[in-house]
Parts: sequence; C-alpha cells; structure tokens
Amino acid sequence: MKKENLVTVEFFGLYRLAYKRASVELDAKNIKDLFNQLYELDQVYTPKELKNSIVILNGTNIMELKKFRTKLNAGDNVLIMNAASGG
Amino acid sequence: MATKYGAYAGKVMYVDLTTKTYKEYPVNDKDRKLFVGGKVLAARIMHDLIKGPVDPFSPENPIIITSCPLNGTPCPSSARFNVSAISPLTNLLTSSNCGGSFGTQLKRAGLDALIIVGKSEDFIYLDVSEDGIEFKDAEFLRGKHTGETQELLPKKAGKFVIGPAGENLVKYACVVSDERAAGRGGVGAVFGSKNLKAVIADGKNMAPRYNQDKLTKLIRKWVKDLTSHPLTGDQLPKLGTAGLLSTMQQKKLLATKNFKQGQFEHYRDICGEELAEKYLIKNKGCRACPIQCGRVVEVNGKEVKGPEVEIMGLMGANILNNDLQKIIQWNYELDELGMDTISTAGTVAFAMELNEKGIWDSGLNFGKVDNISQILDDIAHRRGEVGDQLANGSKWLSEKYGGKDFCMNAKGMELSAYEPRAAVGQGLGYAVSNRGGCHLNGGYLVVLEGLGLSIDQYTTAGKAAFTVMFQDIMESVSAGGNCLFTTYAFFPPFLLSKPNWWLTRIVNKVFPYFGPIIKIANKHSKLLKVNIASMLPQPLGITHATGIKMTMGGMMALGARGYNLERLINFRLGLDPATDTLPKRLTEVLQDRDNKRSKVPLDKLRAKYYSARGWKKDGTIKKRTLRYYNLLNLDDISTRSLEEQGERNIIPPKPKKRKKD
Repeated sequence: MKKENLVTVEFFGLYRLAYKRASVELDAKNIKDLFNQLYELDQVYTPKELKNSIVILNGTNIMELKKFRTKLNAGDNVLIMNAASGG
Repeated sequence: MATKYGAYAGKVMYVDLTTKTYKEYPVNDKDRKLFVGGKVLAARIMHDLIKGPVDPFSPENPIIITSCPLNGTPCPSSARFNVSAISPLTNLLTSSNCGGSFGTQLKRAGLDALIIVGKSEDFIYLDVSEDGIEFKDAEFLRGKHTGETQELLPKKAGKFVIGPAGENLVKYACVVSDERAAGRGGVGAVFGSKNLKAVIADGKNMAPRYNQDKLTKLIRKWVKDLTSHPLTGDQLPKLGTAGLLSTMQQKKLLATKNFKQGQFEHYRDICGEELAEKYLIKNKGCRACPIQCGRVVEVNGKEVKGPEVEIMGLMGANILNNDLQKIIQWNYELDELGMDTISTAGTVAFAMELNEKGIWDSGLNFGKVDNISQILDDIAHRRGEVGDQLANGSKWLSEKYGGKDFCMNAKGMELSAYEPRAAVGQGLGYAVSNRGGCHLNGGYLVVLEGLGLSIDQYTTAGKAAFTVMFQDIMESVSAGGNCLFTTYAFFPPFLLSKPNWWLTRIVNKVFPYFGPIIKIANKHSKLLKVNIASMLPQPLGITHATGIKMTMGGMMALGARGYNLERLINFRLGLDPATDTLPKRLTEVLQDRDNKRSKVPLDKLRAKYYSARGWKKDGTIKKRTLRYYNLLNLDDISTRSLEEQGERNIIPPKPKKRKKD
C-alpha cells in the first residue's frame, strides 16, 4: 500500500478568493506535482499560471529551495499567495 | 480670481477665530508654481506663521487646510486634501491627508486654502461659501460623534468635523470628512483647542482647467493603467489594504505584541482574506477613484467603513487579539469618536506592556479584549485617570512611567503596523520622517522590502537614496491631490504579477545597487525634464489641469522642497536631530536570534540619509540644498499687498442665509 504524503496547502490573497477556500490537503511529492493536482481538483489556475504565485514551504520561499522541484514531505505546510502591496 | 493658472480657485483666506474676522492671504502664482498645493503649500504658509516654538493648544497654532489643484478634476483618485498644524503629539509640524469631499467643496466655495488662527470664545463651526465665511454656533453639535455631527450639518456641504476626542483634546484626535479621516498628528485636538467643531464648505465654483482636452486624454489612459495594474486593478479593489496582512506575516513584518515580534500565530483569523470572505458587503472609494480600496462592513446593523491594514495589525497582532469582529467594531468606534486608529492602538499596546511588566496597571492586558471599547470611550472623553493619561499618547506615558526603550514611537508619534527590523529601510523612514512614526511620510520603503518587490530586507545598500526619492515623490503627489496608491503604477506590472520570473528576480537582486544613481537623480532632480505617463502620470495631470509645467524631475524637486521646508519649520519649533531615532527595541534587540541582521542599523542608515538629502552630518540642512530648492530668503506672504496678485475678488459680499441649516 502506497504511503500517503499529505501536505496542507493554504491560499492567501487573490488565490484564496479565486479558489474560494482557505486550504486543502493534498498528497503530493513535490511542488510541480502539487500544482498539477490543484488544477485537477479545481481547474482554477493551470500549473503554468501557478508558477507566478509566491509559494512558501514551511516559512521559506521555494525560490530559495529547489524551486518547483522542491520535494514535499508529509505534514508540510504550503502557502500560495500573490505579491501584495498598498498600505 | 487671482491666478492665471487653471484648476485653482485663486484665493486663500486667513480666518481669526478670536476676532471672528477673515481676510485674503495674498498667495500668488509664484507660490503656486513652486509649492503647488496640499501639504507643500501649507508648509510654505506655515513658514510665514511659525517663527519659534508654539504651544499646540495655543491660539497661535495655525490650522491650514489646503486643497490641491487636482481636487475636483476627473483625475483618478484626486480627492485628497490636506490639513496641517503643529501637532500636540510631537510639538512639530504635522500634515494629514484625507479623501473626503471637503477638499473639493472648499475649492467650489472659491478657496484653495483656509488658514485658521486664534481661539473662539464660544463653540462654533465655520461655514464657507462663495459668499464668504460665517461663524456659526455649534452648541447643538457638542459631544456628538463624527457621523451624527455630519448628519446634522447641511446635506450638500463638504464637511470636516471632529468628534468627542477632538473636543476633549485627545492628543491623537483626528478630523473626519465623510467616512475618511485626516488621522495622524492630532489636528482634531487643535480644532478642539480653538472651540472649533467643524468647517463646512459649499459652492458652485468650477475652476477652469488649463487644457481640458489633453487632461481628458491623459485621464483615459491613466484610468486604464490603474485598472489593469495588478495592485490597483486587482489586489486593492478585491482585498483592500487589509490584503497586505498575510504577506506581512510571511515577511516577519507584522508588528506583534508591541513590536516584540514580527509574526502572529493567529494571523489567519484577522487577515484581509477573512475580512473579504466573512464581513465585506461592498467596496467604496473616495470621489473619482477607480481603485475603490475602501471596505464597507456592517456594525450594529449599519453599513460602515471597514478596517485598514494598520488597525488590523495594531489592534490585532500587536495586542495579541485574534477577534476580527472586535477590530471592525473598534475601527467604527474610533472613527465615530474621532481618534487616529494607529496612535490609539500604539498607545494601548504600550500600556499593555507597562502593565505586563508591573509598571502601570491600566487594566489593559495583551490578549484581553473585553474592556477595550470602554477604554476607547474613556480616552475620547478623558474619563478617569486611565482614560485621561492614555489620551496623551505613548510618549507621554513613557516620560511618566518609563519604558522608553519599548515605547514604539518616533518623535512622539506611534509607529504604523510594519515591524521595521525586517524592513530596515522602513525603519529609517520612521526615524527621519518629518511628522514622526508614519509609514507614508517615512517613504514607505517596505513596498520594496517585501510588500510588492522583494529586495533584501536587511541590507543598507540603496535604502537611504530610495527613501529620499520615495518621500519626495509621495510628498509631491500629495501636493497635487492624488492618492498615493496611484503611484503603484510606478512599478511595471510584471514585477508583481510574475514574482518568480528571472527578470523580476534580477531586478530584486540589483535594485539596491541603483542607490548611487538614485542619489544623483535626487540631487539634480530639476534636470530630469521628462515625463513617462505610464510610470508617473501625476505631473502631466498637474500640467494639463493648471498650466504649471511639471515633469518627473519637477515632482521630485517639489517633494524635496516640501520635505526640506517642513524640516526647516521643525527646527524653528525646536527639533533636535537626535530625535531622528527609534526605540532601542528596534535598533539593539534582534527580531530573530538566529539572524544577526534582524535589527535596524540606524546610525549607518541615518548618516547615508543625511548625505542623500544634502544635509550636514548633524542633520541640519546645507545652505546650497536650500538654495537648490528655492527655499532661501522666502518672503513673508502676509506682508505682500493684495494688489500684487493682479485681478481678484477683493471683498466677498455679505453672506447669504442658507435655506436648510
């Protein structure tokens, strides 16, 4: 039996409004896989479009890790958000 | 009309409340060309009136309300007008900007600015119209909240009113127009000290524009640019400023527990997304604004203005509160009482820490929210010892009880919600800002340091030069009458819509290294005689509306002129450059023990800033800087004869009685 690699994905900013949900749990092995699964699930943004989001894995921007090939482990917390400004 | 320029009413009025008289103040076209309007023109007039330290609650403290040339034009987000006075919070010059309808109505009533001095014996409001100024009894408004006060005043007029907090001289009382506030610096208390409840204005004067065709063409493109930009066309309309909070959390910029930390574990409960999903009824904006960043929410069955990011951070994370419903309620109460949300929240957080440390028991505790509404009301009415003392602001409390190292203010004004140890350029801005701990007057460098762009948050490289440039641009945009949010088109959209793109990442990496070039551009701004409408359309707006030839460099010079002039006035008021500083919590204590860069290296940044500003090492202004910005040997406008203005309306006819009063 395949071991589950459940990660929590949280949406912020415009992504939260577009996905109409605050979070979702997915079984994904890396960020690219996660993007594919999100598209299969909701068909809101294509994986290519999601590459324009800011992705924070356990507090670190994935661009400082292995970008979209960054591996995910069970229990990881992934935030997807847009660049924001204006206070 | 005493001006050859378009879009101006061409008249400034000087009102003495003591004698209940008024006369024209002979501002001329040379002043308009150099100082344009808003806070910069107010500083020019203030330069005449302030010769030395002034008690903010004395009759000598002038309130200067200035409209801006773009007020009343269809330029996007152009309703912003200004009020300046000596702040009871800082004892320095303060200027506060507001998007209500009063600025436009003041101009329609035939005035570009209103200077108010003296003190009325009785409680009054001023009624400004094309026929003149009337001093009217305001006893029926005494003690009324800002909303009710506005309802009781004539419907058609633009209103600028105070609430109970202003009447009771709360040092951070604000002035409200519609549901928008000129929040910072305590001008509401200066109104109160003069027995002045409100100023209303109404008229039909429509100042002609210099080149309406070109202005219309520019506005079409300008609106298109704003509505298609990811920030002004998407983020701000959908989430308001509140949409920043979750990004602030990720970047460790969310002031938490009186700025002890930069992250709040319960941020999800108080973020802008939560506000949009659970509480937002609709958007609302100022007049002529295509952005519509304002939130409308429901409180006590009534549709009211929703909270901005500052109060959501400062009355949320900064006091360890995760109840968004309470924040919405307090935001409404503060607007109604007429108190600045930022300074109120900063004072409350400081009192909480004093209590936690066993220094002063005010009954305020981190995380305890049940008694806050009552305490806000006590502050506004200076009720009881706690309310009365909190009404003086956090700096006053630190002088009485101690705790200066964690009293989160600059020059006496409480800091905004951005924790500067993770955005050191913003820290510099807070420290050197003319009006004190204000994020906007400080240059809002946090927009480069994580909110928008993502340059190195901790480096000192380039930060001083960019702070100068941003301060100057914001100063001049304010003088023109546009909302500062219109400057976001300054950033090419790809920097925000494609944050992971290789070009965006390169821009983020190299941006700080443009500092030396920016420094040269700042110092020789008058040479930048170019206009790029897609980056900075505001100068073209001013040009087409008024006929004053304005360029990008001209805007930078206008901003620098204003900034230096304000500093000059602050020196007259007794400014000590040693107060260009921050509490030790931000400069000596690391935000993150594992990150040795996570504090504000203020000494280094400030020295670079003084140099970038053309100031001496001791923070005073070099003579050549003053000369460059035409600030040497300014005459006293009040000593000019009215005839120097040319054609004009000399004495307004006897005021007509309003039908509905």
